[in-house]
This record gives sequence, structure tokens and C-alpha cells, in this order.
Amino acid sequence: MSDVTGNHREGAFQRAFAFAAGTPAIATLFGCVVLLVAGQSIAPGFASLGQIAGQLNVAAILALVAAGQGIVILSGREGIDLSVGATMTLAALLAGNTMNGQDGGIAPALLAALAAGGFVGLLNGLGITVLRIPPLVMTLGMAGVITGLLIVVTQGQSSGSTAPSWAAFVTRPFLFGLPGVLFLWLLIIVLIEAGLRYTRFGINLYAVGSNDFAARLAGISVGWTRILAYVACGAFAGLAGAVLLGYTGNIFLGSGEQYILPGVIAVVLGGTSLAGGKGNYVGTAAGAFFLTLLTSFLTILSVAPAQRQIIFGVILIGFMLLYGREKATR
Amino acid sequence: MAAVLEASDVAKRYGAVVALERGELRLERGEVHVILGSNGCGKSTLCKIIAGAVPADGGSVVLEGRSVAFRTPLEAQAAGIATVYQETGLVPTLSVVDNIFLGQEPGKAGGRIDRKARYARFEMLIGRLGKLAAHLDPDTLVGDLSIDQQQIVEIIKALSREPKIIIFDESTSSLDRAQVADFFALVRALKHQGTSMIFISHRMEEIFAIGDTVTIMRNGRFIDRRPVSETSRDELVNLMVGSALQQMIEARQSHRQPGKPVLSVARLSGGKAQGISLELREGEILGLGGLHGQGQSDTLLALYGGITRRGGEIVIAGKQLGGSTPAAALKQGLVYVSGDRGRAGALRGRPIIENLIVGILSKSSKPIAERGKLRAQVRPVIDQLKLKFGRLSDAIETLSGGNQQKVVVGRGLATGPTVLLLDDPTKGIDVRAKQDLFALIDELCAGGMAVILYSSEDMELIDHADRVLVFNTGHVVAEISREDLSEFALNEASLKTAPAHAEQQPAHV
Amino acid sequence: MSDAVLDIPSRNRTRRSRSFWRKPWLLSAVLLVVFIGINILIQPRFFSAYALGNIITTMLPWMLIAVGQTYVIFGGSIDLSLGAIVSLVNVVVVVLITALGGGPGAMVLGMVAGLLLGTLCGALNGFLISAFRLQAIVTTFATSIIYGGAALVVLPQAGGSLPTEYFTVYSEGFFGLTLPIYLLVALILVAAFVATTRYQKHLLATGGNRQAAFQTGLPVRRIVMGAHAIAGFMSAVAALCILGVAGAGDPLMGQAFTLGSVSAVVLGGTALAGGWGSVTGSIIGAAILALINNIIFFSGIDYIYQAIVQGGIILAALAAGVFASRRQK
Repeated sequence: MSDVTGNHREGAFQRAFAFAAGTPAIATLFGCVVLLVAGQSIAPGFASLGQIAGQLNVAAILALVAAGQGIVILSGREGIDLSVGATMTLAALLAGNTMNGQDGGIAPALLAALAAGGFVGLLNGLGITVLRIPPLVMTLGMAGVITGLLIVVTQGQSSGSTAPSWAAFVTRPFLFGLPGVLFLWLLIIVLIEAGLRYTRFGINLYAVGSNDFAARLAGISVGWTRILAYVACGAFAGLAGAVLLGYTGNIFLGSGEQYILPGVIAVVLGGTSLAGGKGNYVGTAAGAFFLTLLTSFLTILSVAPAQRQIIFGVILIGFMLLYGREKATR
Repeated sequence: MAAVLEASDVAKRYGAVVALERGELRLERGEVHVILGSNGCGKSTLCKIIAGAVPADGGSVVLEGRSVAFRTPLEAQAAGIATVYQETGLVPTLSVVDNIFLGQEPGKAGGRIDRKARYARFEMLIGRLGKLAAHLDPDTLVGDLSIDQQQIVEIIKALSREPKIIIFDESTSSLDRAQVADFFALVRALKHQGTSMIFISHRMEEIFAIGDTVTIMRNGRFIDRRPVSETSRDELVNLMVGSALQQMIEARQSHRQPGKPVLSVARLSGGKAQGISLELREGEILGLGGLHGQGQSDTLLALYGGITRRGGEIVIAGKQLGGSTPAAALKQGLVYVSGDRGRAGALRGRPIIENLIVGILSKSSKPIAERGKLRAQVRPVIDQLKLKFGRLSDAIETLSGGNQQKVVVGRGLATGPTVLLLDDPTKGIDVRAKQDLFALIDELCAGGMAVILYSSEDMELIDHADRVLVFNTGHVVAEISREDLSEFALNEASLKTAPAHAEQQPAHV
Repeated sequence: MSDAVLDIPSRNRTRRSRSFWRKPWLLSAVLLVVFIGINILIQPRFFSAYALGNIITTMLPWMLIAVGQTYVIFGGSIDLSLGAIVSLVNVVVVVLITALGGGPGAMVLGMVAGLLLGTLCGALNGFLISAFRLQAIVTTFATSIIYGGAALVVLPQAGGSLPTEYFTVYSEGFFGLTLPIYLLVALILVAAFVATTRYQKHLLATGGNRQAAFQTGLPVRRIVMGAHAIAGFMSAVAALCILGVAGAGDPLMGQAFTLGSVSAVVLGGTALAGGWGSVTGSIIGAAILALINNIIFFSGIDYIYQAIVQGGIILAALAAGVFASRRQK
């Protein structure tokens, strides 16, 4: 028996078209192109290579947060991590204090950021799987606890600073005129996509998100898979925090907050089902880029922040109307 | 006699898939009309259209001389058509009375519910059901009820609407034999009152026990209509499958000599199962029989680690079973397959190939999934099961129910199990898929694999089991050897009660 | 229910005891007693009319929004835009009353407009979610961005002021009791009434098993939309109450309420998955949140510890609540 039986074969073109129209990731990338063209016609230079690189640079931070969020959402059972903002701030502060402006501190700082993020994720995962606290509630509570801790420790002051080389890696041209962080992002795209397809954890993650009882009966450790998803999410938030530190130089309380919900939106725009078990990271990355472009596009239109906010919300709803519909109640 | 309901040329398409091409039904007043057909024949779609759950694309439905096209279930109910769904018809978080009167609560001023009137009506309704609803507590949450009790609540809910037509969608599948008898008494009473009933069932005995007329469907088309009294099993099966397919599986007449013992279970408890002991040999198919829900499924689940085990010793291939999770059982050569694909089998939205490889992947515990290698590993199973599919990368729900079940079975078989646990594996799948499945299982048993098979269909046990343990209220109450196996013997044994002492002697081989 | 209707006494007895232990609000009621106890310990004059009046005034907006959120969650949905609705109504009412001249007529008109606006915002959420089958969490997050942005457009910075009559009436009330006390009683009575209606039953059915509710013939879309509209209305009432204390508009004022309302609902024992819970529980949950704040305030804990203590206590209470409700099942 062959993989393709006759009655399932369609024209390659038709299939490609159906794929594009039915794939949110492609639609999102198409939206990016539309924004670039429109931006270029309003403000020449908007779509220049340098500008695009700059936009990608900003998008990278969001995409890192969204990477973890996507993994958690894939794991199903209303999986969501709203503590990523607080985790980012925590990791960035830790990294900043470890580096303290010294290049020698970069490696330990990155390790500290990843470890702190992973630890927060571990706590989230344990609370959600062992104590069975709803993810929304668990991660919100976690955000409160971390923020409280940070207030106590920092007394509300900014502290620590990035190492110059780290800042350069994140913001300055590194290779082919592009900042190093973009290569890091590319590497992460490849790693996540490969991880989702070619590792046991990836395949198990989809299985758990799709039907956790069936997954358990198939011999998958559902609890550990979910916990690991939250650990990965925390680690990605930690990494995003470190990159944010490199980008802004120093970190204030609440620096990470602004990334929480755009991260979720990037995942949705990328076509990941909020019900779990369906989606990929390429789409999420495209979603992050789209959101970043949209923000700049509205800025060049000199739309005031409040109005920009409204447009942002309307476009998000528009996208959801196109792709976010759930299965109909028959 | 004028028909109460007449449907002709009804069609329904879901995208490119034609679910119903030419549906036809002529329902007389006060008759029990059975719709028969294998999966995908369009009978559920036809019923859903009549019940207003999905709109038809074409054709006509005439109710008491009036042409109707229901857009919602509510419209169908208002016209006197009630449906007893097999599943998802009840709200688990509400109580029994809440569910029964949902949407038609006796009211008081200000949109309030008249609770007293509601209880009074409840008592009246359960009076009509006799023994079937004798122990039903109106305030229990439906989610706390067993499946058979939930089905009974569904039936009461439909009755409370005082319908002219009731559609029973496999309503007996979760009832045990005694309950089915009570249910049939109710159906007869309703018949006398002039209620017409449409009955979908996969149990041949029931069709002959209760049906007046049978409509046979195949591949979305109406095939024939027969008075039940003028037909036979063989004829019906032939009409269903169409071709000159042999209607019954050629049973393994030759009694194989089972090999050395591979599994021994002592005093296993979990869920409804109480102190179950059994032994299994290589190449043997051990049947679990008895009325539905007497602890057969729970025995298999507890054995596999799918539910919490309360004591018991399990030795497989000479080694103590370590760990209490399915993952541990899988590693030691056990595999469990449930017939409840939607809940316990299919990974919806995932490709067929991933559905197939998750088993071997778990067993190997290698962190990297070499997809090419894994694909090659499941290929033989796909061929053996005669799986019909488009591409292996298509989502599992693109397959028919029978083929989905084959995937779930294939997932387990690909791990090369020593012992296969089958929990009512052919529930709701068509005859052909059943045949494919058992052909392979018989073949694997000839190669030394041992099987424990729980089936709610007596014929399946009779055709395939080497011996049968009969369950009642969580205990093994009888063991029937192959020579003595018959419908009569199974029925008789299923009504035996458990011995006073809970401990069972290990069933001897 | 009367025993005469049910002829089997033993069946009746087991039912009553079981249903008592499964009341969703049981655990939160115990917590409430504990927190009242702590409050009395650190604030001996807790039961004085003044202190009690004060704490009810602080609690009321939380309770109103939590009750609205409860109905939404009953229906299997969630509304993360309630805080933004509070902000929007808050500023619109202030701007409108000022624009209309600030007389009694202007105040009534402004309040009615505010209530209408809140209801419409909630109904829009419900419409998007039920008519287009969108995910509630993300949809209401998106509308919260829109409503919040609109609030900033209407009143970019905190300010504006209401006529003094507005807050004197609110804080002085009638017959020696403040208006919030009357409103609290009204809230409890209305919620108790709604609990006996078909609507609440149908809402719970929709949240418990949407497919089943639909097959039964319930208009599930309208039911869910209605719950969102109610939540919008309740948020608008809360916005008016907040104005009664603050007297000025603030476009960012509502932010804290969104998640606070969800916390109160979960503390009250209502299942986030929908279909099961109680409004009473949410009212108690909101009271607990307010009492926690009170404890932190009166125990002299440094301000900077507030967030951590609050987060920790809520998380612990939620964990306990979830744990307990799991045990009961």
C-alpha cells in the first residue's frame, strides 16, 4: 500500500492555495508583506533592509517569550503562562546583577537567567499538574509572588547593567550586518521545529495536548510532559529577559509585563490552537514579527498611543475572526 | 396506514465528503423502526437531520402530511421529535432533575423554577419506567452517575417531552441485559400509546427482539425496507455489507494448544474490580464476559495502570510488574486498547503516523524520534490491519471509525506486546473492520501473543475466546471453557452471584 | 422541597447531606470566618459601624464585578475586559456629567449612559465570542485593549471632577446607613433571586456541556451573550460606585479588577471550566480579597511587602480551594 491513494490526489497548485488560505502562519506572513508595502509607500525607507533588520531585532524578544508560551499552549488543558512577564523581569535583573557591566559575567548571567526561568516554570508546572490549580490562576499567582519578591529585594530601584559585549551582540551588527540575536533566534526556530517533530518530547507534547487520557494509555508520562512544557516556557522567558537586558541596558520592575499578552497573541496569530495539540513555532515567529511591524506602522502614521491601542485590538479581533474560530456546536 | 414521518431523497455533504446521498425512511404510527447499516452508511446523519441537529442539503421530510425542515433541535422537539443520544446529551454538572427538565422547567412568576412541581413530575415519569429507574436519585449530579444510569436519564429526558417520535441512537449499548429487558418493556408500552420509535443498534438480537420494520442503509443510500418478521440475520447482514461476503467470521474451530504461562494475576482490585485472579498462557485468548459494567473494563485498566490499582500481584513473563503506570506496563510487554476511541484512543488533530508511533516511542524511551525508522517499524502493522487511509500525514479524524480503531490497535501492536488487553475493542465499528481486526489477532495469537478480550457482544466471545471468565458485581463468578461456550451458557453464568468470600481461586487453565 | 412529594425517606436524607457538603462556597465561608477573626485581632474596632461601613464601601466594587464575572464563568466563558469596562465607564460618566453642566439631570443622564455603555461593551464581548465562536480569553483581552484605549482617548489623564452631591449621597446614604450597604443588600437579594430562575440553570447547563444544552434546545449563544452583558452592566455599576468614593475620573482605574474578579470567583469555589459554582461564593471571595488588603494595611506590614503577601495568600487559598473541591468530587 502506498502513502498516496488516487482519490486523495489533488492539483499541486490547488493544494498550495488551500494551504496558504487555510494556514494562519502564511496569512500572517502575507500580512507582514502588506504592512511593509503600505509602510514603504507612506514613509519611504520603512521596508529598507536596515529597518527590517531593526524590526526583526525588536520582534526577537517577543518571539522568544512567545516560543515558551506556544509550547505551554500546545500542552493543552487550557495551558497558558501569564507569569512570563514577571519571569522576564526576574531573569533580566539577575542577569544584570551578575554581569554588572563586565563581559566576563555574560556566561554565568545567561545561565542564571535560564535557570531562574526554568525554576519558575518548574514551580508552575508542579502547581498545575500535582496540585491541579488552573494554569491561568497558578501563573497569575506566581506573577504576583515574583513581583512581590522583586519589590522587596530591589526596593523598587533599577539595579545591575548589561555587559557591553552582550549589548553589542543584541543590538549591533554581528554578521552580514545583522545583530547576533537574530542568529540566535534563527537557531531557536530550527531547534524548536526540529524538537517538536523529531524528539520524543515534541511528539508527546502534541499527543498530550490533543488527548491526555489517550496519551497516558499510550505510555506517555502526561504529568512530566506538561511540567517540562512549563519549564521550557520559563527558560525561554528567562532568555528573553536576558535579551531584553542587552537591548535596554538596564531593567526596571515591570519591564517584562508588556510582553505577556502580545506573546499570547503572537501564538494565536501563528495558528496555534488555544485548545492544545495543534500549531508550530514558525507561525508564532511570524506572529511576533507581524505585531512588531504593526506597532511601528501605526507609529509612522503618527497615531497617538491610545488610538494605536484601539487599532491594535481591532486588528487582533479581525485576525481571530479569520482564523481563531472554534469548532461549531452542531 | 399513513406514515407519521416520511423522509425521501435526503442528502447531506460535509465539504467534499458525502455523508448521506439518498436517505429514505417511512415511519408508521406506533412502530419500532430499526435503521441498520455499518459505520459511514449515513444512518446517524439521517437521524440528525430528522432531529434538527444538522440541516439537510436536499430532499424532503414530511411529518404528518406537513413538509418540514428543522433548523435547530428545538424546532424538531416542538414538532414532537425527541432524540436519546448515545453521548453528550447531558450536563454533568447539573443534577438529574435539572437535566431532565432542562429548557422546559415548570415555571413560576419572574422566570423562577417551580421546584415542587418539578419533583412531582419527576416521580410521575420514573413511575412509567418501572424497575429501570427505581434507584435514580433526582438530586445526584449526572457526572456522578455511571454510564448506564446516565443513559436512563437520557431516556427519561426524552419521555418528559411527550414526543410523538423518539429516536434511540444506540441507547442499549451501555445497558446490561436486565436493563435492556426493562427498556424493551418501556418501548412496548410506548408503542401501545401510539409513539413511533426509530432505533439504531449494532446488536442483531435486539433488532429481532423489538423491531417491527428494518431499513437497511449502505454508503449513504437507502437499500431496502423489510418487516422484521419476514427477514433473517443472514439476509440483513448480506444487505448491509452488500457483496457476497461471508456473513460470519469463520471461527477458529481447531482448538490450539496454548503454550506456557505468560501472565498471572492474583487478587487484583481497582475501580469496580474486586480481587480478580487469573492466569494466561501463550497464544491464548481469554474472554471476559458478563453483563456490562461488572468490572471487566476496570480489571483490564487496573492491570495496565490506567486506573489506580488497589492491591494485587501481577507477574508477566516470569517478572513482577514494576510500577503502576501504563508506561511501566507497556515496557514489560502489556498493551491496552479501548473501544472508546474518542476518549481513550485517538489523538485528534494529530497525523495518523504520530498516532501510530507514540506507543513504540514510549516503549523505547529514546529522546530522539527517528521518524523514518519508526515509520518502517509500523509499516507491517498497517498492512496487516488493512488500514485504509489517504496519507499517513493526514489527521486521524479523516478516517472512518473502524479505521481509527485500527490505528489505535496498530499503535499497541507495533510495540510487540506479550499480552494484549482488549476492552470492548469493536464498539461502534463496522463488520468489515471487525473481521480485519480479529483476523490479525488470531494470526498473532498463533505466533504466541496472549490476549484478554472483554466484549459486550456474546458472539464475539463465542467466536474467538478459548475460555471465558464471567463477571458479576466486580467478581469472577464462573469460568466457561471453549467446549461449553454458548449464548445460553454466557447468559446463565452472567446471572450468577458472587460467592460470599471475596477471594477467588486462580482460574485454572 | 417537601417530603410528601418524595415518598422514599432514606433517599431524601442522603441527598440533603450530600448536597450540603458539595456547596461550592463552603470552603470560602470558612476562610471568610478566619480572615474576619484575624481582622478583629489586629483591629479591635473592626465591628464598629464606621469601620464596617468603610470596609463594605471598599468591598462593593469588587463584589459587583466578581458577581458579573461569575455569571460569565458559569456559562463556560471568561471576561478579561471587565476592568477596562470599569475604566471606560468611569471616565465617560465624569466627562459626560461635566459636559452636561453637572446638575441633577446631568448626573442621572450620565449614570444611565454609563450603565448602558457598560452593558453594550459586555454584550459586544458576548456577541464576538458566541456568534463567531472565538476563544473568550483572547477575545476579551483584545476588547480590553480597545476599551482601555477608548478610555485614554476620552480622558488622557486622571482628573475631572463630579459635583459634590454625587459623593455625599453615596457616602451618607439614608436612615443612617450608607448607600453601599443598601447596594450590598440589593446585590445579595438580586443574586439570590437569579439563582432560582431558569436563566441561571440554562447558563450553568451551557457551561457544563454546551453541546448538550444546544441539543436540548437552549439558545446557547443568547445565553452566553446575556451573561457577558450582565457582567458589563455590573462593571458599570461598580464604576459608578468607585466614582462615589473617588469623585474624579481615572482611565487606568479598572486594571486591577479584571484579575481580582477572577480570583474572587475561584476563591468562591466556582469551577473555571464552567457549569458549576455559586454567586454567594464569589461575593465571599471578593470579601476575602478585601479583608486580606485590610489585614495588610492594619498589621503595619510595609507597603512593599503587600504585593507578595497578597499574591502568596491568594495562591495558597486557591490551591486549598482547588484541592478541597477535588476531594469533594
